[in-house]
Amino acid sequence: MGLLALGTPLEWRDAKKAADQVRQWGIEQLLAIWRRAKGKERDVLRWGDEIEYLVVAYEYQQRKVKLSLRQADILDALAKDVALQKQGGCVPELQNIAREGEPLPTFHPEFGRFMLEATPGKPWGIGFKDLLDVEPNMKWRRTIAKEHMEPNEYPITLTTFPRLGTRDDFITPYYPPSGDRLRSQFLPDEIANPHIRFPTLAANIRARRGRKVAINVPIFQDEHTAMPFQDPTVDYDLHKWPEDDDVRNGAAKEDHIYMDAMAFGMGSCCLQITFQAKNIIEGRKLYDQLSPLGPILLALTAATPIYKGFLADTDVRWNQISRAVDDRTPEELGEKPLHNDRWRLPKSRYASNSTYISQDPRLRKEYMDPELVVDEGIKQRLMDEGMDDLLATHFAHLFIRDPIVIFGEDLKELDLSKTDHFENLQSTNWQHMRFKPPPPDNSIGWRVEFRPMEIQITDFENAAFSVFIVLVTRAILSFDLNFYIPIPRTTENMETAHARDAVLNEKFYFRNDPLPPRPAKASANGHASGNTTPAAQPSRPATPTGPVEDEYSLMTIDEIINGQSSPSENSTKPFPGLVPLVESYLNSMNVDVQTRCDLARYLDLIRKRANGRYWTAAKWIRHFVRGHGEYQGDSVVSERTTYDLCMAVEEMTRCEGRSGEGVGWEMFMENKGMTRKRKGESACG
Amino acid sequence: MKLRLSTSNIINGGTSIVRRPASEKSNVELVNGLRSNFTASMQASIPAGNGDILDAADGKGAIKNAVLPSTSWTNVDNGRLNVPANNPDDPGLAEERSEYDITVKFFLLPKTRFSDWRRHLQDATSAVLQELRVDSVDLLIISFPGVSFDADSEEVGECGSNQIQASEPELLDAILDVWNTVATLQANGVALNTGVAEFGCERLKEFLSKTSHRPMVNQINVRDACEVPQSIMELAKQERIELLTHNDCANILPQGTLRDLLGDGPNGAGLLAGPNAQTKGLEGDLSPEWVVKYTAVVRDRGVIEHKGYFASADLLQKPTV
Repeated sequence: MGLLALGTPLEWRDAKKAADQVRQWGIEQLLAIWRRAKGKERDVLRWGDEIEYLVVAYEYQQRKVKLSLRQADILDALAKDVALQKQGGCVPELQNIAREGEPLPTFHPEFGRFMLEATPGKPWGIGFKDLLDVEPNMKWRRTIAKEHMEPNEYPITLTTFPRLGTRDDFITPYYPPSGDRLRSQFLPDEIANPHIRFPTLAANIRARRGRKVAINVPIFQDEHTAMPFQDPTVDYDLHKWPEDDDVRNGAAKEDHIYMDAMAFGMGSCCLQITFQAKNIIEGRKLYDQLSPLGPILLALTAATPIYKGFLADTDVRWNQISRAVDDRTPEELGEKPLHNDRWRLPKSRYASNSTYISQDPRLRKEYMDPELVVDEGIKQRLMDEGMDDLLATHFAHLFIRDPIVIFGEDLKELDLSKTDHFENLQSTNWQHMRFKPPPPDNSIGWRVEFRPMEIQITDFENAAFSVFIVLVTRAILSFDLNFYIPIPRTTENMETAHARDAVLNEKFYFRNDPLPPRPAKASANGHASGNTTPAAQPSRPATPTGPVEDEYSLMTIDEIINGQSSPSENSTKPFPGLVPLVESYLNSMNVDVQTRCDLARYLDLIRKRANGRYWTAAKWIRHFVRGHGEYQGDSVVSERTTYDLCMAVEEMTRCEGRSGEGVGWEMFMENKGMTRKRKGESACG
Repeated sequence: MKLRLSTSNIINGGTSIVRRPASEKSNVELVNGLRSNFTASMQASIPAGNGDILDAADGKGAIKNAVLPSTSWTNVDNGRLNVPANNPDDPGLAEERSEYDITVKFFLLPKTRFSDWRRHLQDATSAVLQELRVDSVDLLIISFPGVSFDADSEEVGECGSNQIQASEPELLDAILDVWNTVATLQANGVALNTGVAEFGCERLKEFLSKTSHRPMVNQINVRDACEVPQSIMELAKQERIELLTHNDCANILPQGTLRDLLGDGPNGAGLLAGPNAQTKGLEGDLSPEWVVKYTAVVRDRGVIEHKGYFASADLLQKPTV
């Protein structure tokens, strides 16, 4: 997560008063960045992945697994060793696992005190060797993390801990729920990273909202699930905080699992990829073109079927995070007439993105979000300084939000060489794409972050999805692909991606023909035909004028990933498929045999997740729970089931379905016991 | 007369680049690239105001000789017919040469005379250098007719246990002969690195024993890159030759395909005379000579900026009676 500057954070009532100042200063800082960096050119492709872990602690005797809250200790131990190694010292923990010539990975705190984030020690390039280094590096990160934990602690990459927020002692050390910051009836304040930024973030979101956040996930209705379902863990009789009234006012919905704190969402683990673009133009193009892929990759990486000890009827984390940081007031939500607030806000600050920003002739005005809310004053300020309409609209949209965490010390003087106020708003707009300007010293270029994917259980999968997205960006840029659809369709797709087994059963809006028409060309004797531009620039087709609705149709994930066998009704060409597009890209590159084999394994995984031959983690976890001896057919995920599930996940992380029992083979192969073709790969104990 | 066919840049030319699985042959990129460039060039050559001619065409842009004289979109240069006409104003690469990795793959075709091969190589190389406005390429790969790598038969036995077929010695001599030209191109700085395609273990071993100019690359077509036989992997490793993958087909431009492309059929460019001289056009026997594929990739960004093909054919015109 972004900046962790220390200082005195303002309580919400004071922060609110300073909001306009922070926004104004943030905009001035943005303009300073933009002036410095708008002409920045020819940056190479650098990219990075972020892996987030839950730290679990086993109590083998009791067959229990808990979340470990020792994040700070683990990070301290890691930092100490890294510092020692930099000084050339001998670090016992790292001696056996150091990798020659490879910088040590970096570990970061996350919102949840039970979480860790790890990034590679240096950004990746596009060299194929780099692509193949990703998976070993991810495995190495996990090994290093594990080396700095207690023997019974493990970093696992489940999106959420299945029993977070149950009534039992699911954390170690144990703290009782209901603290001042979160005021949650399920979680203690100690669940959040104790760094002052995080509890303040949670408290001020709650204060701004005027009540606790409310996360209702539909319950999975199994054979013996009591219907209608009333979440039995909800206590309607608490009177410690004013917010305890929330449930008495209907915050917990029937047939839903109810959660009431930021940590239920922001405690989820994601797989995020950030790309450096060649320049601002390419960055804006990638931002737009990757946006429609967001819901598709969300559904394809589905891994979140359990909340608070119950099977949910959804497969992904997204909406839960969205609601967990939803700071909108009743007025902004449209529950009350607008009186104190400036506007109705259709989306949470954590949501699918709402803008296209590329100055691309293919971007039709019909694609834009008609519900977009923009601060016109801010937009005008940006445009007065020369920023174009599209980009000014984007930032003026992000800046409709209030800054949540403000440090009093930062309000004394505006420093245009810093970006803190800009980042305050930028980094608390958690949309599925993020457009990131260069830092003050211009040492890094314009970047685009792809944020929708769920973390996968194994590093093989995490590497596969990371590398796949990188290759998709290269295909987009090489082939000049066009994935534009209207933003409201992407918003709808994001909802669709939540459905149980959406990857197989649902259809998503997607553009029928992503390939550009052949550019019209100049004739041999020099003059161009028609009204095209001179041959010196690749000519663009004139803006198409057919109905926008004819440009896209509903497709299955299989069709989007692997291609359509016949065109959609409103199209003449079958959609070629993202994997075939990536393969066309690879066929035009010099790729050695070993690399192609490894990339083929990754593409094979994605192809078969999409066509259902391999299961998503969500499907496997649901299947595991329902097949467990303790399962009563009542949607309840017991402590023992959770213990066995975490052990199985642990084994899968090591063996990728090839262990003696073949745990999780359904996610990696079509038949139990099949071995993947990879040199040196054997059965796994 | 020689015909030189070009696709120009196909990389953002839409459908040429994506092969739909199973249903299509692997030279579809070349064939579609040529066809679409012909169509685009024909359209560009239509004088303003005659746009309705196009609308009357069948949507694929097949415009017949009867409407347009072929010379409006082709040109003759050193006695060679360029199809379509080359564009002297083409700017070549967008950025500095040093930003790119340029790979050129030169395909010698079946039924061509060994003695012509060196000349073909020179022609093809200069066509690419001129097209991209560069004076060197990073990698030049030569693909020989009748040389193909078979993962299945390679699997059998140790490298060195199989006999090379009886007809091979002449082919080997021709390969070595062309390879001398390749060596010269490298010595002159035109090709910074060189390679061969589809050499199996046996052939590679024999080849290496007879040339002092070592290839850096052997490019093989494998259905499954994870199923490459150990023998060739080991030999490549030992000889420090990089094994690259490709998916070009063995016979990239058969004579029939070429006739279809240029002929007066529904998908043809209408340059050739129809059977029994029903339609006007070039007459004679058309035979493919060589094909060259070139790719320019912006190295540090992994973005393919330029990709295209040239193909050369010989039209043996019948002596007029």
